[in-house]
Amino acid sequence: MCRMVAAESQSIDDNDRHTQLLRGALDMCLLALLAREPAHGYELVRRMETAGFGAISYGTIYPLLTRMRRLGLVAHEQQVSPTGPPRKVYALTGSGRTHLDAWQKQWHRFTDTVDAVLCPLDHNPTRS
Amino acid sequence: MDTIDRLLGEADRAWRGYGVGSADRAALAADLRLDLRAAAADGGDPAQLIGGDVAGFARRLADEAGVRRVRGDYGRVVGTALIGTVLGAVLGYGLLESAYPVFVHLIDIPRSIDVPIQLAVAVAYGIPAAVVAAGAVIAVRIQLRDLPRIRRTAQLMSVLVPVAGIVVTPVTVAFAWATDYSFAPPVVVTEIAMVLAALAGATVLARRLSLREGRTAAGSSPPEATRVNPA
Repeated sequence: MCRMVAAESQSIDDNDRHTQLLRGALDMCLLALLAREPAHGYELVRRMETAGFGAISYGTIYPLLTRMRRLGLVAHEQQVSPTGPPRKVYALTGSGRTHLDAWQKQWHRFTDTVDAVLCPLDHNPTRS
Repeated sequence: MDTIDRLLGEADRAWRGYGVGSADRAALAADLRLDLRAAAADGGDPAQLIGGDVAGFARRLADEAGVRRVRGDYGRVVGTALIGTVLGAVLGYGLLESAYPVFVHLIDIPRSIDVPIQLAVAVAYGIPAAVVAAGAVIAVRIQLRDLPRIRRTAQLMSVLVPVAGIVVTPVTVAFAWATDYSFAPPVVVTEIAMVLAALAGATVLARRLSLREGRTAAGSSPPEATRVNPA
């Protein structure tokens, strides 16, 4: 019973940390995915899942896309679809490209720093 | 009504409650409709995509879209107006009681001058009524000075509240006549309720008009991003 509770608590902690980490990187990841190929909102949800982020809700992605559009990082246009209604396809703008480059560099600096702090822990025994 | 219409209706109600103007609501809804229809065509369930908390999603979307919000705060405005009315009524009654003997003492109108009864009634009851209306307007203007467009609301109230008073007075008098000018509590309460309802209606209308003017003047809508060539 205790083990089940502990496992459940661990899982909640993992989810919380995952959400926190994602919060700081989600807009950058969306820009990166759009840099590869323009997409509509629902398609981006699928791409994020395929990339390994797990299930990120449309309710999270769509408002974020709207903000990035407001900030001029992405632009959208309607494309006629042969199989259904017109699609609102998002693509990176010049400003979005510039921001993505800057954010990527910042991210690498940040992860390098975090790695440098964490790496010694791999070799040092923890004190009980 | 299909699922998308239902979801958009729910989102619209949330946006309305959140103080999003009609132009912005229409723009947000049109964008969302397009996206949901595309998702549905790909086999996605729109209700499942947005999740159970449609109102929360709608508010988040409005925030991220950077739309200008103006809260109506109708409850606060009407409540404050009614409190101002009560204070104005007390003040008006006090004024009537104290000023009447003074006027009688100071102004001795010769009996040769025939003062029309309508004029006498208008002066005797019009001045307290004006104090009541002023109480409502001043209370809203001062007490709710932190609300957006409250100055314009108060300006419109200063016109609409007296008009409401003029309209409701004959109606109330007719009701009183129909009940044989009874002082029975239910009759008196009904008469008071009629007057307060008219005042509340005028206040709501003033608030609504002032907000509508503000939205029209601002002409706000979510900024469109640069268009790009098709993929």
